[in-house]
Amino acid sequence: MKDQKPPYRHRSLWHMVLAPTVWAFHFVFCYAVMSVACIKLGAPDIARLGVAALTVIALGIIGFLGWRAWVQWDFRPGDNYKHDRPTEAQRREFLGHGGFLLSIVSAVGVIFDALPIFIIESCI
Amino acid sequence: MTDSRTSSHPAPTEEEQAARPVGTYPPTQELLDAPDDPQARAEREAQLREAWKTPRGWRYLSAVNNSEVGTWYALSAFGFMLCAGVLALLIRVQLAVPDNDFLSADRFNQFFTMHGSAMMFLFAVPMFEAISILLLPAFLGARDMPFPRLSAYGYWCFLIGGCFVLGSVLFNVAPKSGWFMYPPLATEQEGIGPDIWLLGLSFIEIASIAAAVELIVGVIKCRPPGMRINIMPLYAWYVLVVGVMILFAFPPLIAGDFLFELQRSLDWPFFDPDRGGDPMLWQHLFWIFGHPEVYIVFLPSIAIAAMVVPTASQRPIVGYSWIVLSAVGVGFLSFGLWVHHMFTTGLPSLSLGFFSAASQAVVIPTGVQIFAFVATLMVGRVKMIQPMLWIAGALAIFTMGGLTGVMLAIAPFDWQVHDTYFIVAHLHYTLFGGLVFPLLGGVYYFYPFFTKRMMSDRLGRISFWTTFIGFNVCFLPMHLTGLLGMPRRVASYSSEMGWNWLNLLSSVGGFIVAAGILIFAWDLVRPKRDQPLAPRNPWKGGTLEWSHDVPAEAWGSRSVPYVSSRYPLWEDDKFLERLDEGRFYIPDAPEGKRETLVTSSVDAEPQGALPITGPAWCTIWAAAFTGGAFILPVFKLYWLALLSGAGAVACVVYWLWTATAQVPKAPDRDVGLGLRLPVYVTGFRAPGWWAMFITMLGDATAYASIVFGVFFFWTARPDFPPEGAAHADATLIALSALGFVLAWGATITAREVNRRDRRRAARALIGAGVLCTLGAAGAMGLALWLPGMAPSSHAYPAIMYALGVWVGAHSGAGVVMLLYCLAGSWAGKLTPRYDADLVNTTLFWHFLCLMGLVTALMMGVFPRLAS
Amino acid sequence: MTGRAVWITLPLLAGCSGAQSVLEPAGRDAQVLADLFWVMLAGAVVLWLLVNGLILYVTRIAPQPLSRRGAEALIIGGGIIFPAVVLIGLLVYGLSEMPKQRAEGAGLTLRVTGHQFWWRVEYWPDGADAPILAANEVRLPTGQRSEIKLNAERVIHSFWIPALGGKTDMIPGRETRMSLEPEKPGTYRGQCTEFCGESHAYMAFGAVVMSPEAFDTWLEREAADAVAPETQQARRGQQIFLSEGCGGCHQIRGTPADAQVGPDLTHLAGRTTLAAGILPMSHSALRDWITDPEAFKPGVEMPGYGHLSDDDIGALATYLMSLK
Repeated sequence: MKDQKPPYRHRSLWHMVLAPTVWAFHFVFCYAVMSVACIKLGAPDIARLGVAALTVIALGIIGFLGWRAWVQWDFRPGDNYKHDRPTEAQRREFLGHGGFLLSIVSAVGVIFDALPIFIIESCI
Repeated sequence: MTDSRTSSHPAPTEEEQAARPVGTYPPTQELLDAPDDPQARAEREAQLREAWKTPRGWRYLSAVNNSEVGTWYALSAFGFMLCAGVLALLIRVQLAVPDNDFLSADRFNQFFTMHGSAMMFLFAVPMFEAISILLLPAFLGARDMPFPRLSAYGYWCFLIGGCFVLGSVLFNVAPKSGWFMYPPLATEQEGIGPDIWLLGLSFIEIASIAAAVELIVGVIKCRPPGMRINIMPLYAWYVLVVGVMILFAFPPLIAGDFLFELQRSLDWPFFDPDRGGDPMLWQHLFWIFGHPEVYIVFLPSIAIAAMVVPTASQRPIVGYSWIVLSAVGVGFLSFGLWVHHMFTTGLPSLSLGFFSAASQAVVIPTGVQIFAFVATLMVGRVKMIQPMLWIAGALAIFTMGGLTGVMLAIAPFDWQVHDTYFIVAHLHYTLFGGLVFPLLGGVYYFYPFFTKRMMSDRLGRISFWTTFIGFNVCFLPMHLTGLLGMPRRVASYSSEMGWNWLNLLSSVGGFIVAAGILIFAWDLVRPKRDQPLAPRNPWKGGTLEWSHDVPAEAWGSRSVPYVSSRYPLWEDDKFLERLDEGRFYIPDAPEGKRETLVTSSVDAEPQGALPITGPAWCTIWAAAFTGGAFILPVFKLYWLALLSGAGAVACVVYWLWTATAQVPKAPDRDVGLGLRLPVYVTGFRAPGWWAMFITMLGDATAYASIVFGVFFFWTARPDFPPEGAAHADATLIALSALGFVLAWGATITAREVNRRDRRRAARALIGAGVLCTLGAAGAMGLALWLPGMAPSSHAYPAIMYALGVWVGAHSGAGVVMLLYCLAGSWAGKLTPRYDADLVNTTLFWHFLCLMGLVTALMMGVFPRLAS
Repeated sequence: MTGRAVWITLPLLAGCSGAQSVLEPAGRDAQVLADLFWVMLAGAVVLWLLVNGLILYVTRIAPQPLSRRGAEALIIGGGIIFPAVVLIGLLVYGLSEMPKQRAEGAGLTLRVTGHQFWWRVEYWPDGADAPILAANEVRLPTGQRSEIKLNAERVIHSFWIPALGGKTDMIPGRETRMSLEPEKPGTYRGQCTEFCGESHAYMAFGAVVMSPEAFDTWLEREAADAVAPETQQARRGQQIFLSEGCGGCHQIRGTPADAQVGPDLTHLAGRTTLAAGILPMSHSALRDWITDPEAFKPGVEMPGYGHLSDDDIGALATYLMSLK
């Protein structure tokens, strides 16, 4: 069984919160890009393009993390919402479920944060 | 312990260094069912009682157990809340009729500033800390918090600071620029008001961070064996999330306070626009704290709801993962909203839109929690126990506040109602609904846990309805008052404006709320000696806190249980029996010491049985000296303050020396159920290591906030750095950076070398580390001073100096730690095997080295690139 | 204090309730926001009743327990899908409104500077190279979007005319801007909405909206020098004004008084209110104000002139009331 050691993310809280961490980085970089582009350079298009690029990257990473968490959650077979037993399998699935749900919330957050670039075109 | 100097073994590996658990884990059914000898049991109980007994007489004040500290904390916070409530009533008397002269404008301004400051800083967050200190160990089957003296220290700091800040009202010198103290108004204010606010609150903030550290470590490291992360009570999840939020939210405010105080005492112009500063920097730093702050106070109360709702429904919570997800989600997203408090400051529309969208996004995880509770109520059969009434009222009020919040998140709408009574209405709906009502319900619910008696059901219902009705009479009209144009923070208004009846109604409502709260307060403190003791689990809850003995015993949990379900009291009928008979872990105290079990962070596998501290006076002394260090500068007694600070450091060093990382007599101990655990662990198995790590994360955040300030100035001001400004000397900065790296290297090497039992070399390296640090700090100071950078002339040299002061102070701390390790090595406290102090110092040094290098870049490289 | 009470009970020209109301819009921006509010209010009421009705139903009426699947549907539908849809809709609308409300004004520009506790107002008509200076009242023409540039002297203030649109802060050291498009002529009221010190509550201003023709006429008159005093009393008042050093702070164009430390008084009596919106523009209010400004605005910079005789103060007031 030694060679079958499960990956660290199966027992890692840090991994469960990776998707929101990506959201946090997306947020910080977007904020920096917008501030510098609008206030220092007066160039709204740089701001919008920058945010668009960051958003695509962030969504890509979150998508990957979400897919990995989905696999870890092991939703099928069975109705796998209950993780209230202290077994390794349930702990792993719980972390996966949590990670998956957090990926959705993080994706929603990233999308909401990026919305303004489609609606607002100036720095005023 | 073998003397490895003489052995011919190869150097022990890290594995061998850290003693391991030995024996059976998880406990087998056989072990769990094994009966025990009543005689031995009685002996063990006597030992436990002796080790945990509460000090009597005046020594009672030296107690550090969570039940004492938590009770004092909660009662003090509640007392401060009542004071802040009185201020609110006085405000409402003044505003009840137009053109009133009950209060002068100056007094009014002091009162609304103190009402907000006291409620947020002396009640909301401390109350969460207090309740968690009281409850968390019980939820986790632990006997105490992991660092009891730290809790006590935090409490005494809070009490001293709170009395000082709130007391200023009695002397007519209270701060009067609003709870958010915007410069330039606040920085230019004459008198000591702003300093009282700044310094008094800074040291309360530090107490809050200490509490956060403890709560995080408690949840991560001190769970009972078997309580894996997925079966942890929801309250523990919330405590974890909120603890981490405090860790990242308070430091920006601390950084802001640091800059603010430097401006007030040394005239360094961070917020003075005439000298390159910008008042907006304060607004950013304050609200980066201020927004997560409101979620910090909201989430723990929802956590209480999360514990009450399943009990009321007599079934497990529905959507445990959903709730965890929402708590974590809200925790993260709430950091991205702060500019919605600054929608009217003229920032670019793109930026405002960004924050407007983020403010809406956070509604989703918040709503998920609420629907999870509703779903639990719908899936179970609800018994309307009295606390549930408060929770239902809380939800009614909070949802209203949340809906007005959605309106406010739309920036153009906020442009109309910002700084009007509409906001006052919104904030009170969310705070009462999200904090006060769940808290009061929680007190009713947990009262039998704290005191083994019940509060009065009848008084509770009267109090609820009075408060609920009064609250709505007071605050519902304020939505309209604001829409009719009444701004906030106005000492009076003209009777022409059409606001008369609305204000009178709100004032009447305010008094009704006060009556409701007083009824509650009476029910809380009235003597109940004649009442029978409550049954052991009066609400028939399923989680561990209801397993405590009635009548109460100071030991908390009779033994630390092995847990295998989220609701052990519902699902395992032998559980209570085993717990009571001490047939779980550490049912005794053979060396008369207080102990806690330390388990792994995710799977709660036992890792150690560590001693924790007992009653002490040094915590009170440390708090008093810390108080002096912060309070004396208000009166400009700077040298005395420094002395007081040195006294505080001395007390802390004494406390650490005598009560932490003690070399044990035996390396491990039999904890019961066939398991032997080490009594000393280092590295990331150890709570002490986690405490250092978490504290440094907070510290690094404060540092990052100052660095943010540099980038903020560069973005917002065209003259940063100003044309032809002097920059820090490049060579000296490079030397300084080198010095930090060398000191860091010396520290790490010292740790490795010490492990290999080459103690002299280790001590020499520590000494070298001290010298390099002093050199590095000195070089940095000279680098700033030699080129003639004058910090009071412009924000650029000021902020470079601020970075220097920060690194300098931390270098001092680094030197003290190294010297402490040196002394420990000489005194035999720090040995090759028992080296927690050096391990933790090394961890501190990772952060300090990073700070030193980043500062060198900011001082030496960035300004030259930006020019 | 009793003196002040008397003045405040006299009807201000600004009229009664509604002059400072978000819900009685007189400008394009305020109209859009008031409409948005009513829609959001309706939605909020419905949602609040739904959620709390559900809780009431479940806790009081103890119905058939919901299934686990139903519970999950509730959490996903009510907690995620429904809010996401509604919020995105609201956001798209709200965000698209922002650039419209911040559109650059065309034509008239005002520059308003916040002081403790009064407003310095400069009118820069299109193409002008020098402003027309006034104080404590803002007049705007209908039918066009006017640009308003904001600044502050020492502390942060905020400029707000609820009947016309949202507020913008005035921050020392940086210029902020906004624009307004009034639609209904009338007299409205604005107030400082960022806490600015002891007399924050007493820093307001009249906002008069006029038709473009009426506005142009008014602006021409405002640009002219002060009306020369015609009566004996007024002339005496002017003498006292100059000899008591009032010109050391206040400018009256056309006289030797030309300092700009305090509000410009050239056309003082043409304003609808006195002392930044808190007193009526009347002889007796002026007398009381000049005698003891501190009684009305604690912390104000203007000293009191109680040392002058009643007659002198009366003459001063007469003179100032003649400055239409």
